[in-house]
Amino acid sequence: MAREYAVYDGHGTDAPILYQTEGFEPTEVTAVIDLSEEKQLRISGSDSMQDLNEELILQLKEMENAGKAKDAFLSNMSHDIRTPMNAIIGMTALARKHIDEKARVLDSLNKIETASAHLLSLINEVLDMSRIDSGRLALAEEAFSLSDLLHDILTIVRPQMQQKGHQFSFDVRDISYESLVGDTLRLRQIYVNIINNAVKYTEANGEITVKVSESTEGERCWLNFLCRDNGIGMTAEFLEKIFEPFERANSTTISRIEGTGLGMSIVKRLVEAMSGSIHIDSAPGKGTAVEIRIPLRYEHLEVHSEELQGKRVLIVEADEELRDDYRRCLKDAGLHAVFVSSASEAVAQQAEDEFRDQHADAVIIGHDIGKDGSIYDLASYLHQRDPQLPIILISDDNWEDIEYKANHSGIEYFLPIPFFRKSLLNGLSEALRGARGSDPLTSVDLHGKHILLVEDNLINREIAREILSSTHAEIDTAEDGKIALEKFKDSVEDYYDLILMDIQMPVMDGYEASKAIRALDRKDASTVKIFAMTANAFAEDIAKAYQAGMNEHLAKPVDIAKLMQALRRI
Amino acid sequence: MQPYQERYIANCKEIAARSDLFALNADTFPEWLEESCQAEERMQELREENMRLLHDEFFPVLDTLPSLSSEEIEELDAFGDILMDWKTNLDCGLYITIHEALLSLARIRKDRSAIIRELYKLGMGLYYQDRMIQGLESEHTQPYYFRNEMVFTEAGSYLRFFEEIEDEATKGYIIRALANIAICTVDRHRRVAVSARTLQITQDEYYRKQAPGLPWDTYLQRAHQQMSSNRNTLSRGDMTPSELALILESCQVVFQPEKDNKDPNLRWLWPYYEMEYTCGFTDLKTTLQRMEDLIASAPADRYDYSGLYATVQLPIYYGRLLKANQNMPDRARYISFLKKAYQRMTKVLFAIPAENFDDLFAYFVTLVFSDYYETEGVPTYREITSALIPKLNTELYIRSYVVGELAACLSERVYDRDPSFFAELPPLQDIPAEKKKETLSAYARNCGLYHDFGLIKLKIESVERQRDLFQTESDIYRLHTFSGHDDLCSRASTKDYADIALGHHRWYSEGDGYPEGYRRNESPWRAMTDCIALSVFLQEEYQGDLKPLLEEIDRDKGRFSPLLTSYLSDRKFCEELETILTHAAEEAYIHIWNIKNEKAS
Repeated sequence: MAREYAVYDGHGTDAPILYQTEGFEPTEVTAVIDLSEEKQLRISGSDSMQDLNEELILQLKEMENAGKAKDAFLSNMSHDIRTPMNAIIGMTALARKHIDEKARVLDSLNKIETASAHLLSLINEVLDMSRIDSGRLALAEEAFSLSDLLHDILTIVRPQMQQKGHQFSFDVRDISYESLVGDTLRLRQIYVNIINNAVKYTEANGEITVKVSESTEGERCWLNFLCRDNGIGMTAEFLEKIFEPFERANSTTISRIEGTGLGMSIVKRLVEAMSGSIHIDSAPGKGTAVEIRIPLRYEHLEVHSEELQGKRVLIVEADEELRDDYRRCLKDAGLHAVFVSSASEAVAQQAEDEFRDQHADAVIIGHDIGKDGSIYDLASYLHQRDPQLPIILISDDNWEDIEYKANHSGIEYFLPIPFFRKSLLNGLSEALRGARGSDPLTSVDLHGKHILLVEDNLINREIAREILSSTHAEIDTAEDGKIALEKFKDSVEDYYDLILMDIQMPVMDGYEASKAIRALDRKDASTVKIFAMTANAFAEDIAKAYQAGMNEHLAKPVDIAKLMQALRRI
Repeated sequence: MQPYQERYIANCKEIAARSDLFALNADTFPEWLEESCQAEERMQELREENMRLLHDEFFPVLDTLPSLSSEEIEELDAFGDILMDWKTNLDCGLYITIHEALLSLARIRKDRSAIIRELYKLGMGLYYQDRMIQGLESEHTQPYYFRNEMVFTEAGSYLRFFEEIEDEATKGYIIRALANIAICTVDRHRRVAVSARTLQITQDEYYRKQAPGLPWDTYLQRAHQQMSSNRNTLSRGDMTPSELALILESCQVVFQPEKDNKDPNLRWLWPYYEMEYTCGFTDLKTTLQRMEDLIASAPADRYDYSGLYATVQLPIYYGRLLKANQNMPDRARYISFLKKAYQRMTKVLFAIPAENFDDLFAYFVTLVFSDYYETEGVPTYREITSALIPKLNTELYIRSYVVGELAACLSERVYDRDPSFFAELPPLQDIPAEKKKETLSAYARNCGLYHDFGLIKLKIESVERQRDLFQTESDIYRLHTFSGHDDLCSRASTKDYADIALGHHRWYSEGDGYPEGYRRNESPWRAMTDCIALSVFLQEEYQGDLKPLLEEIDRDKGRFSPLLTSYLSDRKFCEELETILTHAAEEAYIHIWNIKNEKAS
């Protein structure tokens, strides 16, 4: 008997394909519905025709919806892939057209890079989905810092958050275990996806709150994550389908939401793969709350607080809540924390300390340092005043983005926000270990090193010798450049580690002497460090010192702290 | 003072006097040109001597600072005081160098009184240095203001130990440093807060009793003056009620001694009138009328603060009020007054003799360049500034003229071969085809004139005439690109020159030069910026032979537009450029001579 079938093949065709065939036995099709006059159904094990019919009608609708969703997905994908591809092709053509204009080519390359990155993320999501569905997903089991994970998430979501003017509150509490074991990349993917959805589906200037906490059950620690927004929300009908692939919420208020429609499906599957749970509470116009609980193993983090005992730490932080966090974290650590709330107060405190003949062992520059200067200006000023003072920046910025500027301002240590007790104490310990002892003059230990001090003025020579003697280095002196040159020539190779060279001297000046040393035919002539010590401070003089082969320029009268800082570099 | 110190000061004074070519007396152009060249040569000699004095005498002193006697240190301090006497600002950079060294010495010796004194003096030096970049508030200038503020903050923080410090002079430095935080902080509300704290301290019996010999009443009066000046930086809508009350009260205090004075100092009289308007006690019409009366009654040849306040500052304030009240009734009448006031202001600035080219004068020039209100019915910003440039910085005018001629020649040549090179240039957009080349040429000349506009306000070239620049000064010099850009782009008549002022030192490839943030590719004016950048290089480096410059261009690939430098392979074209390089400066001198005679008549 000839039969008519509608075949849905799972490839998202617009309408059922109609087959009229005899003895048709579907093999790879997803569903076959007999549309022949008798409406005979070829599904084995069905007892009641009516039940089956109803079930099939339901299935049919689901299939139709799934098919439509897949159609929409393909259509979106095709658009989403084409958009960056068009940019790549277009910008390549533009670059070729203006090949002589380097700046223009560079601009095109930047745009190509951005479009490529976007394209890659689209492809990754599709591949992820496929990997999860085919059971090929392997979760990593690595120890990671919760602070780093949360900081990374903040760094990723903040730009879009700011772009839409959302008020963002990030509340982390009850953290007992800072080092957890799990797949940090997948965890980040889950949380970023949820927060990004909140950003996307909340109209500009909305409110988004993220709460992270821990609870313990035996050897496992549950990482609890709650993201709440006051965005457009979802209907109950859509909520039922939210974890289905290719579904995206439609809204008249949010005109174009980018994405593949795979995000929530991936999140659900990842959470389940980690034996966790996800719950969503949402209503149209009321916003959405997504709660995720994931069990993770934890590791005990050791705290090295010996270095902190009796140390004085200046903390520049105006935000009261963060100050409370510091207090909680530093409680019982055995150090003395001095809080100030602005750059001027920090500078005033430093002066007061100097007056009292005491000094901070480290400075923490926090998130909010008032309005009277940037963190870099403050760090730079404090560093200039005391180059040995370890400066720790605690910030929600991405370290890679600010590292260059921070290092140039004298910031050597960085801790991400949010910070927790153990990571803060360990960070502080590390900074203090790398810093000076209690007396700035005895901090640099140059035991076994040889320094040639070239200085024609007796008093200067005596002062420098006195300062340098505290480093335990062996000090030789020379009264002019010629004597210095001779001493260097007569020394065995690699004997001198540093030459401190005055510039204006009789017989042979510092420039000439440095040039002559550099020109010697011996291995250490090019490697020995030569620091200029001079009052000649014209920009051209400084350049001249470098041109003569010197490595650094120290202004006279020599500032002890600055000299020590320079000595640390040899 | 040491002979080398006296010599250095005398040299700086002579350089300042000789830099005004308008002041040279000569009957004919050849005579005047001869005198101008002699002046240039003399200034060069003096500069060289200054460098010798600094290298051979001054730096060796700093080199051996710890071994100097207290008398020698006092001498050095006195030398510094003459270099920067708060008015002439002969050499503020050297003053800073002296006090940075003395501060280091004080720290080495752990001499707290000396630390406080040197912090205060260093703070003052930095303040005067920062006046070069006054009005330029950005991430590039913030570190300078911040350092200044922190130096005063550090000195002022010793207030906590007021009781423990024994000598009154040091206590005086603490109070003054605290007050001066307000003059260098960028945050306007913080300025008011600092001024309020100063007022509080200067009236506090506790502090007064601790140092009865200090001139507390003078400090108090100064604190009121400082508070009254906050009305300038905070607009009507920005002030909180408590700030308004504080500022009004101080304006009243500084106003009282002046109100019945026959020759009142307008600097202290006007703030109260202005606050009366701000608070709504008087209306706009009355306020403008008061200004008109004061401006009209002021003599044009009075160059002290009060005189220039009436002839320069009040017209600027008048313009500000008109700008803020664009829909006021009878506007045409007020614009007509503003036009006359602006014209008079320009004449006054042009007529100021060289001996008055002091810090005060620089302040007024900055005010005009920053706050000039360009609107229909008054001279354009371009008219005003182009008239003033030859007078305010003759040397800059001469080289800018040469740059303009070179750029015009270059752009004409490029236009002939490839008009599409300038296709995106905004000033050519609505110009008929037959007029484009002529327009381009005139535009290139103006771009030449304005490319270093920012240098006039920075006043850094007057330092360079005396000696080499210190590192900080050299960094400040580079800010002229932002300074010029900001002023030029905010007026319709000059906005087409702004990007050229910003980008002419940046390499074509963006691989070097400054400012780093300049994105050549995003600027529709970039074709002209490229022309000016190449012209500046040719003008600066030409020593009578173009060949080494061409070799340098070849070596520094990426510095200039390859599309432009390709034209330099044309020998004949290079000859044309060499003619300009040899003769254009003389044309500029002729222009100055003509302006000088025109003004004299």
